[in-house]
Amino acid sequence: MAIVELENVKKVYTLGKAEVHAVRGVSFSIEKGDFASIVGPSGSGKSTILNLIGCIDQPTEGVVSINGTRTEGLKDKALTTLRHETLGFIFQSFNLIPVLNVYENIEFPLLLGKNRPGKKGIKEWIEFLVEAVGLADHMHHKSNELSGGQRQRVAIARALATKPEIVLADEPTANLDSKTGQSIIELMKKMNSELNTTFIFSTHDRTIMEIADHVIELLDGLIVEDSKRSVEAGSIS
Amino acid sequence: MFLTMKVAFRNISRQKKRSFLLAGAIAFGMLAITLMNALTGGAVVNIRDNFSHALGGHVFITGREWTDAGQMIMKIRPDVNLDRLLEDNASQIEAFTKRSQAMPSLIFGSQQTMHIVYGVDFAEEDKLLDSLVVTEGSLDELGANDDVIILPQPVGERLGVEVGETILIRLETLTGQQNVDEVKVAAFIKDQEELGLSAAYTSRSYLNTLLGMDPHEYQILNMFVTDLDLVDGFAKTFREGLRTSEEEGEKDDEPEVTVTVAGVPMDPMTEPEEITRWEGTRYQVMNINQIMEAVELIVGVLNQVGLVIFLILLVVTMVGITNTFRMMMIERTKEIGTMRAFGMHQKQVKRIFLWEAVFLGLLGCLAGLVLSGLIALVVGSISLNADPSLQFFLNNGKITFRLPIGSVILNTSLVVFTSLLAAYWPARAAAKMSPMKALSSHT
Ligand SMILES: Nc1ncnc2c1ncn2[C@@H]1O[C@H](COP(=O)(O)OP(=O)(O)OP(=O)(O)O)[C@@H](O)[C@H]1O
Ligand SMILES: [Mg+2]
Repeated sequence: MAIVELENVKKVYTLGKAEVHAVRGVSFSIEKGDFASIVGPSGSGKSTILNLIGCIDQPTEGVVSINGTRTEGLKDKALTTLRHETLGFIFQSFNLIPVLNVYENIEFPLLLGKNRPGKKGIKEWIEFLVEAVGLADHMHHKSNELSGGQRQRVAIARALATKPEIVLADEPTANLDSKTGQSIIELMKKMNSELNTTFIFSTHDRTIMEIADHVIELLDGLIVEDSKRSVEAGSIS
Repeated sequence: MFLTMKVAFRNISRQKKRSFLLAGAIAFGMLAITLMNALTGGAVVNIRDNFSHALGGHVFITGREWTDAGQMIMKIRPDVNLDRLLEDNASQIEAFTKRSQAMPSLIFGSQQTMHIVYGVDFAEEDKLLDSLVVTEGSLDELGANDDVIILPQPVGERLGVEVGETILIRLETLTGQQNVDEVKVAAFIKDQEELGLSAAYTSRSYLNTLLGMDPHEYQILNMFVTDLDLVDGFAKTFREGLRTSEEEGEKDDEPEVTVTVAGVPMDPMTEPEEITRWEGTRYQVMNINQIMEAVELIVGVLNQVGLVIFLILLVVTMVGITNTFRMMMIERTKEIGTMRAFGMHQKQVKRIFLWEAVFLGLLGCLAGLVLSGLIALVVGSISLNADPSLQFFLNNGKITFRLPIGSVILNTSLVVFTSLLAAYWPARAAAKMSPMKALSSHT
């Protein structure tokens, strides 16, 4: 079963009297473990679609299902819980909590829920994540003491803290130089294969898109191409 | 819960100058109200101490009876019931005195003055003799001779009399007859009260003779209690223990108190006119707290005025807090969106802001309390050479600060409450923000 499914999803924003059709009828599904990329030019609706999958926005029309749950009609509380339990986020501008250090930023999502793991379990898991993103030496640094690439590594670890099914990343490399951006995508890919977490990221960088095994291409709020590359074949079909 | 508290606590130090200003405003209000409370609290204690010193006790018992001629007189006869009460409650009594008193004219040559004279049983009150500071003459003669008097030095000077000379003492007996006698001045004593309240002393049996009483009778039983906090209950024990069966049915209230300058805590002339006569002695038991009621009333009004000013300061501060929190909400929009994306519920966002307000309020209170403590320490150590009338508010010339824990709790709660109130709307607005809009904001 698809872990993310969109059926004829439309999103209309109203700006005063004007209506902006950001997404104009989009259907696709993403399988568990996919390393999926949403690409397209500026204004094509990438962020809008990621927001809909991320349950921080609701479609005007159509159905979004996350891990089998249809999100339509859910109240803020239920959506928040759904986000906490199934989703992780990586942002273009990193969005670390400035008053918390690296360790605490990663720990943060874990402390939000009702049924938290024990203190010891948390510590081991976070140390594993810090190690995995290569920041063991910066555990107690605040975000303003880190470079952009380091911040995004922290953000990746944070997105994985609750062991979510899906991690969403809206242009995670846009604020980084291309070399650092490449390494960030590679790190995401590594976590994707090691933890079997589904990653969905948006980009308009062709070279970065290449690493994805599922590419959804948008133009003006519509899908122009939805291509999957089978792992065995090693090429986009 | 713990997470929101932690984030809130860290947020306080995020904009140090801003937090400092807000907490400083709160601290200022807290400082003002705390000093006010502590100052009046200390003054009450000092006034009470000075009063009980001047009046010679904490609890005062007087007795009244009717003469055959239909006159009400103030005296207490030896009473086994009263003696038993004294014995039963001995552990709560620090000291007691059974005295007669009068306000006679003292005359020497052409000079004449009215002054309070206590009739004291010197054998019983051995401590009194130790406490008097003799400036001229000696107290040795007291035991041997009855008709001698000890005068405060200023009174002696006013009369122009020397120790060893004889003066005239003129007074009314209890039943209103004029009485004059000659009495020898045995010694001058220092006027310790500074309030002009120092009494002259003579032996009780002698004064009783002049007043037309038997030697073992007296007029006022003054008691110092060991624990001033229990004085009301203590007085009640005596009031109930001394009530006659006849009185049971009558009014149950504590008696009204009239303080007269001479240190006599009541004035029998103010009795209601339609009063019916009774047999034997009826007792009135008064305590220092009843006398203090008027003082406490004034202090209460002062503190209420202080509270109103404090509240006005808080309201002004509230406006500042609300504005600051609104600003913080805007500054942290993206951060709030991030937290919400990761699964922070609306009420948790609200809680961060509210905790921040609580911490800010508590910080301000703490600073205000510490500051007022320091000021109290400094001011309280200065010996004031104040006017004698002001001495009544002081403790040995020093201002005393006493802060009731209740006011600290009340003031702190008020601060925390208003801070919460001020932060509530910004906090709510922050919580209600759509995560999508918050994340796409550019602040
Ligand atoms: N909150 C909003 N209110 C009104 N219009 C919006 C809003 N968010 C997006 N839009 C509009 O919807 C369209 C799609 O925007 P979206 O942000 O999804 O594009 P994008 O593909 O992410 O572009 P970019 O690459 O520039 O980030 C745009 O025309 C945009 O102006
Ligand atoms: Mg975008």
